[in-house]
Amino acid sequence: MIKIQALAKSFAISRGQKLSDSEKQDVRYSKEAFHSVRNVSFDCGSGEVLGLLGPNGAGKTTTLRILSTALQPDSGSVLIEGVDVLTQPVLARKKIGFLSSSTGLYGRLTAYENVAYFARLHGMSETALKQRIDELFTLLNMHDFANRKADAMSSGMKQKTAIARAVVHSPKVVILDEPTTGLDIMTTQTVLDFIRSLKQQGTPVIFSTHHLDEVASLCDRVVVIDKGISAFSDSFDVFKSLSADGDLRQAFMNVINPAGQNKEYN
Amino acid sequence: MWQVYLKELTELLRDKKTMFFVILLPILVFPVLFGIMGLVVANVAKNAEAEEHRYVIINADKAPELAEALFYHKNFKKVESDLTEPEALKQAIREDKFDLAIIIAEDFSAEVTNLTQSQWTVIYNMSSQLDMIDKYFNELLRDYSKKLQLAKLDSLGVSSDKVDALLQPVKLEKVNTAESRENLGEKIGGFVAYILIPLCLIGCSYPAVDIGAGEKERGTLETLLICPISRTAIVLGKFLTVLTTGLASALITVTSFGGWGYVIGSLMGVDIVAKTMSTLGVADLLLILMMLLPLSAIFAALLLSLSIYARSFKEAQNYIGPLSMVVFMPLIVALMPGVELTWAMAMLPIANVALAIKELIKGTMDIGMLLVIFGSTVVIAGAMLAFCVSWFQKEKVLFR
Repeated sequence: MIKIQALAKSFAISRGQKLSDSEKQDVRYSKEAFHSVRNVSFDCGSGEVLGLLGPNGAGKTTTLRILSTALQPDSGSVLIEGVDVLTQPVLARKKIGFLSSSTGLYGRLTAYENVAYFARLHGMSETALKQRIDELFTLLNMHDFANRKADAMSSGMKQKTAIARAVVHSPKVVILDEPTTGLDIMTTQTVLDFIRSLKQQGTPVIFSTHHLDEVASLCDRVVVIDKGISAFSDSFDVFKSLSADGDLRQAFMNVINPAGQNKEYN
Repeated sequence: MWQVYLKELTELLRDKKTMFFVILLPILVFPVLFGIMGLVVANVAKNAEAEEHRYVIINADKAPELAEALFYHKNFKKVESDLTEPEALKQAIREDKFDLAIIIAEDFSAEVTNLTQSQWTVIYNMSSQLDMIDKYFNELLRDYSKKLQLAKLDSLGVSSDKVDALLQPVKLEKVNTAESRENLGEKIGGFVAYILIPLCLIGCSYPAVDIGAGEKERGTLETLLICPISRTAIVLGKFLTVLTTGLASALITVTSFGGWGYVIGSLMGVDIVAKTMSTLGVADLLLILMMLLPLSAIFAALLLSLSIYARSFKEAQNYIGPLSMVVFMPLIVALMPGVELTWAMAMLPIANVALAIKELIKGTMDIGMLLVIFGSTVVIAGAMLAFCVSWFQKEKVLFR
């Protein structure tokens, strides 16, 4: 159960940094700061998959980074199973599994060592982590390359290792930042299967994406972030009904460009 | 923290590049380079000694004995020339027709009755660092002058047993109070510091780039940051790793130089190395290590801060270039001839450690000053580490 309310985060603009014309038109730029996230609120129940949509630069990654405690928001609150991420980040981190498509592995460590390192950082005992890694490697069919160094793996193997690493501590919520961007079809399938299996176990998943078909096949809830504001937050069915014929692309455009404001974007 | 430390060390040990910088470079490459350098220098000196110099002698008939000695000297070869004027001779030397011109004064006479001083001229290119012409010619001239001196004194009625009293009324015997160790320390002490300190820097810099900027470039930093350990623990783990490799690099170098020195020394029968080793006690070596520890900590903290700020390997390496210049400056100051460890010098970071190492090798270290230098270096290292830790908490550093 995750509850996010009125998140805001701005980044200082260094003096002398010139803003481009398009940046000057962006309402989020002020003289001193770039207000990346202005007002984002949503929640996600257990067993639900939440899809985070929005144009590039809308504030999706910043939101997810705040959720994963990598960044500190200026205001707002994030509660994961009642634990406040902002006041108890270390405790909250134990409940979070995080993965993005750009997440790397330590190339000179084997798959097993990569996963075990993070398990140890999460404070797992040696016996517990051995058992858990064995379990995960079986689940993801990874035993064949458990002792291969990450530098020598295919992208599919790497992604599996990254997945195992993200969930080795049995997180209460899994956050994925564009997990399928730039991956080939096989590897994408691995990620999608993984999200599905989390859903079956009742673990809530929050992921950002540009692929509407992924949203259609996986998501229970949809949040659309535009210019740092959560413009839409409701169930998938409500999102779908935003367009007359149930076309998701049209529904998305309707959220981004509500009728009457189209001129701004032309 | 120890988890981070262990993992970083494991990863570094598996990296061929680290192995090269930290282990292979000091064990094999440096001694070979220095060996080659020594050989080249020795060869140049040998060649210079064996070189034959073409000379022209004017008015040779005035001093036939000298002319003969020159003629039979193995490093001088007589060349005939019609030139007699100094300007013309100078020009001819510049045009490489010969190397040396000796103009014996026209009014010179080797007769014992002649009691006036005569002025001669030699013309040659004196820009060489190894002025062998000067050496050889002076030897010949000294012998010749001595012969003339004795003959003239004899003609004046000075018997040969009184010659010494007349020419050298006082003879000096010098007694050196400096121990052989002090001499040796003065000669090689600065050099040792000059090798050790940059090695600590090099030993620190590659791992620092790898585990700072490298982590950013590979995209593993974000994952590491959201692990339930504090950022301070992450930084300290990384800092210790860098410090370890820096010190390891210095230690391995010292051991390897000692080992190579021993091998070469025993093969060539040079006992200078054995002497150095025996005069340097274990306590001195430990003190040297103790001085290097906080200095390496400064390097490690600085390099890690730079590296974590950089977005990529390349950017980090660009920052490290100027940093090594900054480190070399005080080192050069410390190595200048005549620079001694004074209280003022003890305040100059890096230079003070270099001078302290020199003093330790000489065995003339003032213990109070040593403690002050150690203390001030520790304080700077602490400040740098504190900066590094707080630097690591900043979002604008981590997510650039």
